[in-house]
Formats: sequence, structure tokens, C-alpha cells
Amino acid sequence: MRAVENADFEIVGAGYKVRRPEPRKQTLREKLKGKPVFSLLILAVIVLGCILAPVIANHDPSGFYLDSLNAAPNGEFYFGTDSLGRDIFSMIWYGGQVSIVIGLLSMVMITIIGVTYGCISGYAGARVDLVLMRAAEIGNSIPSILLVLMLVALMGKQNILTLSVIISVTGWFGLARIVRSEVRQIRMSDYVLAARCMGSDFGSLMLHHLIPNFVSAIMFVVISSISSSISMESTLSFLGLGLPVDVISWGSMLSLANKALLLNTWWVIIIPGLFLLVTLLCITNVGNYFRKEINRGPSRL
Amino acid sequence: MFILSVLVFVFARIAPGDPLQSFYGDAVESMTTEELDAARARLGLDAPIYVQYIKWLVNACRGDFGLSLKYKQPVLAVVSPLIGNTLLLGGIAYILVFALAVLLAIACALHEDSLLDKFLCKLGTVLYYTPAFWLGVVLVLIFAVNLHVLPSSGAYDVGKQNDVINRLRHMVLPLFVMIASHLWYYAYMIRNKLLDEIRRDYVVLAKAKGLSKRRILYKHCLRNVAPTIVSIMAISIPHVLSGTYIAESVFSYPGIGNLSVESAKYHDYNLLMLLVLITGTLVVLSSIIAQFINEAIDPRMKELEVQQCEQ
Repeated sequence: MRAVENADFEIVGAGYKVRRPEPRKQTLREKLKGKPVFSLLILAVIVLGCILAPVIANHDPSGFYLDSLNAAPNGEFYFGTDSLGRDIFSMIWYGGQVSIVIGLLSMVMITIIGVTYGCISGYAGARVDLVLMRAAEIGNSIPSILLVLMLVALMGKQNILTLSVIISVTGWFGLARIVRSEVRQIRMSDYVLAARCMGSDFGSLMLHHLIPNFVSAIMFVVISSISSSISMESTLSFLGLGLPVDVISWGSMLSLANKALLLNTWWVIIIPGLFLLVTLLCITNVGNYFRKEINRGPSRL
Repeated sequence: MFILSVLVFVFARIAPGDPLQSFYGDAVESMTTEELDAARARLGLDAPIYVQYIKWLVNACRGDFGLSLKYKQPVLAVVSPLIGNTLLLGGIAYILVFALAVLLAIACALHEDSLLDKFLCKLGTVLYYTPAFWLGVVLVLIFAVNLHVLPSSGAYDVGKQNDVINRLRHMVLPLFVMIASHLWYYAYMIRNKLLDEIRRDYVVLAKAKGLSKRRILYKHCLRNVAPTIVSIMAISIPHVLSGTYIAESVFSYPGIGNLSVESAKYHDYNLLMLLVLITGTLVVLSSIIAQFINEAIDPRMKELEVQQCEQ
């Protein structure tokens, strides 16, 4: 038998190339679809404005311009002045710093307290879990404004730190409950058992195994805790229980609203309030993006 | 798991719902928060407050809540004339909130994903996230200061205490603020419940029978959702009442909410303690009521609770 030679066979389709359609690059528009771009943009503008407050502000935010009290918005004072003669345009940016810092600080503290508490409760045995959750439930069913009032009355004079502590001490119950139910679901999974067998203590177990698994579930609550903290701060400051008038925040600016009502100076009320509202709505929108979509299926009605 | 479920079940029955616990238990339960606070104060090196607290505790058990530091009167005497005002405001707001919430939820569920639904959702969210006090101030600015249509503060004009229309006029703005800040939270919850409900199998049957959309929704779906709504209503009593705090202080409406803000401002502990006690009692009472109603309406709720706890 002679060896098989190339000539005996005709190789068919050697040069054939599988034509795969080029993976089409996603356009920017498609990538951004469904994401809260608009809210993020506005939020970025406001946050940047607050960070760059010293550059943007054209007046001293705590300077009293006594010759132009209650001036309506004009060329020099873009947003007018309040009843103490302070420039609202400059105060907005400086006040935003304080409000946003309080929001972020409270968010961090709420997250730390809520996640730790929830992890302990979810990971512990049934009895401890029961007691811990009862306590959180009781805390949750008492209106937070009441708890805040009590703490404020006990603490006396407020500054940024104490105010955020008060807001976060009364605001973590809901988060703890979500964390606890998430932890309950994963506590007996294999990787958690494996980690325990390898001798990891509770702290590292929490950091490396529990938290990464429920972080997406709590994102919404965490982010909206920023907006609820900012809102709470402004409410307290408005009621005269939060920051004093000389510490400029959006809330303490609005605490002059009652005076402004008597003088009918709308800009003192409307402008800081709008900034506050827009910020809150944008944060909420961003938070909503992280919310789990419920897929309900078609209606039968 | 079985033992756990039994334990949870027993606890759920005993903790809020034991009739023997009624008054004394309530007091104890709402005091624990104070005790916590007192402990905190102690850590904040405020020994006098701690001593005061024990004294207050002893006296309170005898029905003596001490003197108000600001008003120089027994605390009870300061609070009692104002409770009526708050209950009136809170009660009307409460009824309106839930009536409107159910109506809105029905409107949304009937027209799911339509323009109306989307518009209501957006509007509701915006109203819900608007800080209540700011909304109040803006309303005063518009309606009282500039249009002179409605009064800006108080519960009634001098000498018109029994004039119903006058009182109502004073209540319009606070009511609006309270409704705006609570409505959407509940409406959204009920809307979602309804949306789940119209995907049940029986809806197909009802439809095959030839019932109209509205009829199915009103007669069948709404009825099935009712227990949830009622239990939400019961639990939320203290939350809606807490809305009076802000509304009352914005409109300086003479009521408990305004009073507690004032007492917090002036560190009027005795007054504040009583107010907290009242609210605490309310919280416990409303959760007892919720439990009772749930079990009366739908005995399956008990099993459901156990199941939820097991998870």
C-alpha cells in the first residue's frame, strides 16, 4: 500500500472562515440606559459646588451685610440676603458642605451599627436572635422623631458630630432587620461553614463572607439613609433643636423661615429648600437604581 | 427549627398581647428606653440626671409626673388640655391618609403602567421626600402670607373656640402637610399588594365569569388585601401621630407635638418624659390592636407569622 498523499484528497473549505458578526460595541447611550444619569449629574454639580464653595461663593457666608438686609435676589447677591444680612448664594454652598457631611457621616454610622447588629442577630442562635430582633422592632415602632427629641434634650448643645450620632442611633433599626434576614439565609451555606472550619473568627467571617453577599441587598437602604439623615438634620435645625443659626447648613438656613414669613421674603425659604429637595430626590433616585426589581409578570386583570 | 418556631410563636403571643400586662406592663416597656437614655446620660457623666430619673420613676408609679420646669405647673395639667387638639388633628389626618391611600392604590392598580400610574408614582415620591416642615412653610407663604386665604397658625381664632368652620380652616394646612408626608408610603405599599393580588388565579376565573375589571378589583382583590391594610393601619397609628410633631410646630398649633418640641428645646425633662410615656403606651397599644385585628380577620395570619419567623 502506498502512503496517502495529499493529492488523493481534495481538502474542502480549508480557507473557509466562520463569519462571526463583530461584537457590536455598546454605544454610550445604551450603557447609560436605565441608570440614573440625570440625578447623578445634578448631584455631582451640587456636591462639586459645595466642595468648591470657597471658589464659587462671592461673599463671606457668615458676614453680616447690614446695609442690605433682606435684599431680594439681585446682581450682587444672586439669591438675595436673609434677615441677618447674610448672602444666601454663598451660604448655600457652605451650608451644603455641612448638610452633606452630616448625611454621609450618619450613613456610615447607620451602616456600621445596622450591619454589625444584623450580622450578630442573624448569626446567633435562635434565642439571642429573638431578643435582639424584638429590641430592634420596638425601636422601629417608636417614631424616630420622638427618640431624636429625647436625645436632643439630653445632649444639650449640638454640633455636626453629635447631631449625626443622634440621627444614626435612631435610624439603624430597619437596616438591621434586612441584614439579619439576609444573614439568616446564608449562614448555613457551605462557604460559611468552610470558613468556620478553617478557624476564622466572627469579625473576618462577617467582613469576607457575609457582607459581600448581602451588600447589594442593602445598597438601597444605605443610600436612602443619606437622604433621610439630611432631611432629619434640616428638620431638627428648623425646629431649633439642631445646629445653631451660626453653623450654616441648609437646615439652619431654613430655621430663619419663620422670620422670613413675617417679612414675606420668599427667597430665604424657597431657595435653600429647593436645593435640599433636589438633593434628596436625586439621592433617592440613585438609591432606587440599586433596588431589586420585582418581576411580576403580566397582569391578569 | 420546630422548637424555634414554637418559641417564636409563644413569644409573639406573649410579648405584645398579654392582657395581664396592660397598664403596668406598658409603663415598664416604654420606660426601658428612658433607662437606656439614663444610662447614656450616666456615661455622659451626668449623675444628677440619673438620680432625677430614679426619683421620677418612683413618683410616676404613684401617678405624680412632677412639675414642668418651664410652665411651673404639674405636667399633667399642662398636657391634658392639649391632647384633644392633637387627637383631633391626628385622627382626621389618619383617616384621610388611609382613605386617600386606598383610593390612590386602586387608581394605580386599575391603570397599571399607564401614564396615570406613572404620574401618581412620581408625584407621590416627590411629595413623600419633601421635608414636611418646608412644605408647611411654603404653604403658609402661599396661602396665608400672599393669598390671605387661610390662617397661618393656631387652632382657632380668639373667642371662636367652638366655631367648627373656624377650626377646620385652621386645620387645612397642617392636615395637608401631614397627609403629604405620609400618604405615599402607605399608598405605595397598598398598590404593590394589589398588583400582586391581581395576578392570582382566581382573577382569571372571575374574568372568565365575565365580571368587569372594577368589579373584580373592588369585590375580590380589595377584600383579600383588606387584612393587610388593616394591620398596616393599626401599626402606623404612632407614626401618623408623630407627623403632628412637625406639622404642629410649623403652624404653632397648640398640641402635644408642639409641646414636646418646646420641652426638648427647654430641657423640660418631666414634661418630655410624660409625653414619651404617652407615645410609648400608644405604640404598645397599637401593636396589640394590630395583633388582635389580624387574628380576628384571618386566623391564617398566625401560621403565616410562624412561617416568616422560621425563614
